[in-house]
Amino acid sequence: MLGYYLKLAFISLKKTPFLSFLMIITIAIGIGAAMTTYTVSYLLAKDPIPSKSEKLFNVRLNSFGPDKPFNIAKGKEVPPTILTYQDAMNLQNAQQGVRQTPLGSFKMMTRGITQPVTEAKMTAIRSAYRDMFSMFDVPFKFGGAWDEVADKEGLQVAVISQELNDKLFLGENSVGKSLLIGESSYQIVGVTDDWYPIPKFFDYRVRAYNKPRDIIIPFNTQINNELWTSSDVSFLCWKEPSDDSFSAILASECVWVSYWVELASEADRSRYLDFLHRYSMEQREYGRFLREPLHQLFNVKEDLVDRKVQKEDGNIALWLAFAFLGVCLLNCMAMMVAKFHTKTGEVGLRRAVGASKQDIVAQFSIETCIVGLLGGGLGLLLAQFGLVVTAQLYSHLYAEMLEMTFGIVVMTIVLAITSAMAFGLLPILHAAKVQPSSQLKSL
Amino acid sequence: MLSMRHLSKAYHTDTIKTQALQPFDLTIEQGEFVAIIGPSGSGKTTFLNITGLLEDFCEGSYELDGVNVEHLSDKAKSKLRNEKVGFIFQSFNLIPELTLYDNVDMPLRYRKLSSKERHERIMDALGKVGLASRRDHYPAQLSGGQQQRVAIARAIAGKPSFLLADEPTGNLDSKMAEGIMALLEDINAQGTSIVMVTHDPNQAARAQRVIEIRDGILSEGKRIEKAIA
Repeated sequence: MLGYYLKLAFISLKKTPFLSFLMIITIAIGIGAAMTTYTVSYLLAKDPIPSKSEKLFNVRLNSFGPDKPFNIAKGKEVPPTILTYQDAMNLQNAQQGVRQTPLGSFKMMTRGITQPVTEAKMTAIRSAYRDMFSMFDVPFKFGGAWDEVADKEGLQVAVISQELNDKLFLGENSVGKSLLIGESSYQIVGVTDDWYPIPKFFDYRVRAYNKPRDIIIPFNTQINNELWTSSDVSFLCWKEPSDDSFSAILASECVWVSYWVELASEADRSRYLDFLHRYSMEQREYGRFLREPLHQLFNVKEDLVDRKVQKEDGNIALWLAFAFLGVCLLNCMAMMVAKFHTKTGEVGLRRAVGASKQDIVAQFSIETCIVGLLGGGLGLLLAQFGLVVTAQLYSHLYAEMLEMTFGIVVMTIVLAITSAMAFGLLPILHAAKVQPSSQLKSL
Repeated sequence: MLSMRHLSKAYHTDTIKTQALQPFDLTIEQGEFVAIIGPSGSGKTTFLNITGLLEDFCEGSYELDGVNVEHLSDKAKSKLRNEKVGFIFQSFNLIPELTLYDNVDMPLRYRKLSSKERHERIMDALGKVGLASRRDHYPAQLSGGQQQRVAIARAIAGKPSFLLADEPTGNLDSKMAEGIMALLEDINAQGTSIVMVTHDPNQAARAQRVIEIRDGILSEGKRIEKAIA
């Protein structure tokens, strides 16, 4: 019977093309708006590293001076989310986590060895310890992370993104080849595969939805080469550096290094907090850490919420979008009532020749499903369009990120069909209830 | 066989009760051709609807081919109607968007027959009414008489025991009406019972039995002689 009902459904939709179009477009607009909002909301709120989000921690120390706190939030003092260079290095040397890394950043003109200077591009570069790659589950297309010696000595090695590898080396394995950062040559040891953590939990809030940086070098290489771009880092001080030199920056009480540690489990957290407490007490003996010892560990989710990259509670825009979908479906429902009302004569006839109420419900349900399916399909296109517009409106969201996953595509179609059925059920049941004898003279 | 005992029908509103059919007994044997006559509003169509299981009755009992219909579910009634009853309406009631083939196919679809068997029955029914060659035409491409023939094909395709016809020639000119009556007589001659509501005494005269309904009261009418014409 399914084939028969499908045939009848298409005949019925063709019979009233304008009404059918209105029903489909009404569902499509509602679905498009709801799924655009849902997709953006889902992508912004997703766990960037589900397998480890409970084990990775952002470390915070209250290194600010005694005169005034770093910040006050909701009446409470809060420490900075970044550390001084000396604290980052002390924690790194203590090796109290399973893995750990400071994260630095800077910008510099880069180019291929054979490229002329005129083709150099300003590139945002990340610096880290090699642990970062395994901590953040960075996949490699070619090669891998640099070795421990490179970390310690600050050798001129680099891991580059697949995108940069495509540009400089046409996608070929570039491990062992070199590129120029500034005028210095760096040997490529690894090329990352597709790696787009969403959000980029380890970066500043404003860059959380940008794509990862194209080049990663050892943290100590940045330090040894005094690579510094003041516009590329948050550099916050309670006491100015003694002079403008790079060594003064490193020795200062200014915070600028993000520090991440991987612990064996969430339960290991209190042990590491004890370590931080001991560390801060130890630093007091050197005249530092004179404020309350507000050392903190935030796992990935907590850190994202605390830095307001993600929201903890529900998204009002999402609720509004689904309310709008509800309004669209109510409109569609009114059109279905009108459509099925015109079919009471046919219902009477079909009942007279032997169709049961269930047969009538099944026939109209298939028609409603097709309306939902077409509405969902068109809604998908509108949602894609909505995502393109959203990416253009919000420059901090990079376009490639705003793509529907396969799961969301399936969910869109299922949502369109089920919501069309849910709102179509009442008109369908109403139509099936028609007293056949009352309609047989009106066909 | 169709058997009704002390069967009655009344319509109720909040304040008014309208007795559409007074209690009556009626038996129609297999193969009979019965004409139902009476003035407009007398209850003829109500009687036909109850007979065809399209409306419930209020009191009494009704057996259709040995099945007591009183406590049947909607699904069971639909199945019984599909298998035992064929309807022919005054205004043909063909679905304009469907071809003649698909219109005739309609009752067979609800019987879960194989596509081969459905095809054979459809072509057989269309052949009996002389329209097999126009199976892919649409109702609007036919004359009124031809449309009624398609409606008859639809009614007989399921090989029902009873054909219930509500003024089947009411919308046709006399020539077309004669053709339809001849077709109904042919079908009746092959063993299908026909219950036909009509205002036309000439057509009623062609039935083997006449039942008159007046003010909701059924009475066995006298055999109308063709001489009236």
